[in-house]
Amino acid sequence: MSKIETFHYDDKIVRNFAVVTVIWGIVGMTVGLLAAIQLVWPAANLGLAETTFGRIRPLHTNAAIFAFVGNGIFTGVYYSLQRLLKTRMFSDVLSKVHFWGWQAIILAAALTLPLGITSSHEYAELEWPIDIAIALVWIVFGINMFGTILKRREQHLYVAIWFYIATWVTVTVLHVFNNLEIPVSMWKSIPVFAGVQDALVQWWYGHNAVAFFLTTPYLGLMYYFLPKAAKRPVYSYKLSIVHFWGLIFIYIWAGPHHLLYTSLPDWAQSLGTVFSLMLIAPSWGGMLNGLLTLRGAWDRVRNDPILKFMVVAVSAYGMATLEGPLLSIKSINAISHYTDWTVGHVHVGTLGWNGMLTFGMLYWLFPKLYNTKLHSVKQANVHFWIATLGIMFYCIPLYWAGWTQSMMWKQFEPDGFLSYGNFLETVTQIIPMYAMRALGGALYVGGAIMMAVNLYKTAKSGSVEDKSTQAPAREKYVAHKGEYWHRWIERRPVQMLIGSTVVILIGGLVEIFPMMLIDNNVPKIESVQPYTPLELEGRDIYIREGCISCHSQMVRPFRSETERYGEYSKSGEFVYDRPFLWGSKRTGPDLHRLGKKYPDSWHYNHMLDPESMSPGSIMPPYPWLIEDDLSTKYTAAKIKVLKTLNTPYPEGYEDDAVDDLQKQAAEVAASLRADGINQENLENKEIVALIAYLQRLGTDIKPELMVEQ
Amino acid sequence: MYKYILSEAGNINWMALFALITFMTVFILSAILVFRKNNDFITKMSHLPLEEDEAGSTK
Repeated sequence: MSKIETFHYDDKIVRNFAVVTVIWGIVGMTVGLLAAIQLVWPAANLGLAETTFGRIRPLHTNAAIFAFVGNGIFTGVYYSLQRLLKTRMFSDVLSKVHFWGWQAIILAAALTLPLGITSSHEYAELEWPIDIAIALVWIVFGINMFGTILKRREQHLYVAIWFYIATWVTVTVLHVFNNLEIPVSMWKSIPVFAGVQDALVQWWYGHNAVAFFLTTPYLGLMYYFLPKAAKRPVYSYKLSIVHFWGLIFIYIWAGPHHLLYTSLPDWAQSLGTVFSLMLIAPSWGGMLNGLLTLRGAWDRVRNDPILKFMVVAVSAYGMATLEGPLLSIKSINAISHYTDWTVGHVHVGTLGWNGMLTFGMLYWLFPKLYNTKLHSVKQANVHFWIATLGIMFYCIPLYWAGWTQSMMWKQFEPDGFLSYGNFLETVTQIIPMYAMRALGGALYVGGAIMMAVNLYKTAKSGSVEDKSTQAPAREKYVAHKGEYWHRWIERRPVQMLIGSTVVILIGGLVEIFPMMLIDNNVPKIESVQPYTPLELEGRDIYIREGCISCHSQMVRPFRSETERYGEYSKSGEFVYDRPFLWGSKRTGPDLHRLGKKYPDSWHYNHMLDPESMSPGSIMPPYPWLIEDDLSTKYTAAKIKVLKTLNTPYPEGYEDDAVDDLQKQAAEVAASLRADGINQENLENKEIVALIAYLQRLGTDIKPELMVEQ
Repeated sequence: MYKYILSEAGNINWMALFALITFMTVFILSAILVFRKNNDFITKMSHLPLEEDEAGSTK
């Protein structure tokens, strides 16, 4: 028998992460609520650029994913890792650097996103200096985690730790590849990949941000905290092993299901569909494993709010992971994509799975961390019901809205015309559903605030004690004949890390390498030319204002879309799009064939007051584009970076770019003046650049324009 | 050889087969091995999260 050693767990770091999880959770959800309200009352943007939908939507998603769920992950990992390995964290200093570094990154996001500093890659919007900070803090977390694993007293690694390891390695790979960009200035960068390739890498990242940030670490937490709360071991440990390897192998392939019917090559779309369907197996294996852990304890679910939260969380995981693969079937995706159905689906996952598991974990943890009892079990029960109702009020109207809108988009009259040719009709129809969704969101935030009060009172009634713990030192392990095969890897964290990396890289490499290396995958179109400097600046304004949150730039090859928008989008049209701006949601219409559809003055008036051109529109006004001067400070630098990325601008063009920009701006201003818009210094305003960009959209291959030429 | 594989990437067949075979191999192998082996160890592993509660901690 080994010598018994006495040591202390570092619970202070757990408490810190737990407290900020609650705070950022409320902040992130409140921003989401504000965004939801703006879809009913656009005036709720308070008339400020910084609080307008396009800018706060990424703030909401980043806060919910990286601040709320992120800190939730770290809370659970720092608590469970120490106990499963029977040791204190590797380094208190690294723990602190991790904690404060992560909070600083969140603060930087909260400041830069409302200012319109964004790369526009969904869930990876933060600009390059913050990307570097994320990479550094993530490495600190990794060193701390692996250091702890190496100095462990427990020989074998429990399955939750494998999920933590897979999370760490995959997020590292995803973060690096999706943020390969060349800085133009301190707060602006241009991605290395363009068009279709950028889209594939982004959704390989975007999907796996869901997989490896919102799912695998939370499965680790489920495998630890659910048995703790149920006071019984997981239903089948063997199933958990198959769950782990099956899940991490398959998940990484499924990204292209976000790009079905787009200009992505068909083979990549098919791969995404096949692997998404296969995902049902491991996901449901894990879900059933979680629910069956409660076998014989269901009577306690009636009284114990913690178990209630966990049951709903695991059920929501099951629902979301059945729905996700179904949405990846092309015929279903043709209906669901770009609608609120996707938003509803995502929120079953985030509100149901992540939110409810986090709440359950926090209610379980706080009394332990503060050596006391939960202040009010009754209030926790009330919170459970409010949150559950909130999820229902949130998701059901959005499913309804998504289905309704999609059917309206596709409806034809017997004489062959679209029944709802005006896109706006399909929006005003679903505003009551948006109002109900906002109510659901308000209930959910209300519940979270109630939890914050309950946990605060719990903490206040308790005390912080530095308990010591004892465990035998780790003995040198001697393998014996015929031992269970998987034990080999369970006591070798480094091999586990390598194994996980290999498994997740297979899918990534098979999908992405051919896309990068084979020209045939992106057929060139001769008439497609790089953007002019003014269009480029206009495009950056489009990115800054987050227009992508509501408008796609991808006409799918359906009659209902070509009839409404024009020629379907071709991959060769996007070769100079850095970043790609295909979007994933149509709260407003697709814009890919917008160019030359309306006169310049229409755009001017529409941006100043959307309702003047489209009565009943829920698009917010953008008066600041008309008031603010266009900055050309970085125009030359942008051209220079684009040239290094092989955009065919003429030699030395960066020196002429601003002159060209001013010439084109004068032309746009003249056309506006001809239509009776007499504003001083019109040619220097941002609106001119945006109009130039919008008028260029999709015109390179517009047949009628090419005939005119 | 690598060049040849890449030039064929427009054709989904080899990818679908490769992916399916790799997955089925990993999945079936791990399933067979996992379900064949040692129940005592599995029980010990599944009780790891509960050890703290079972043993209790000292001040």
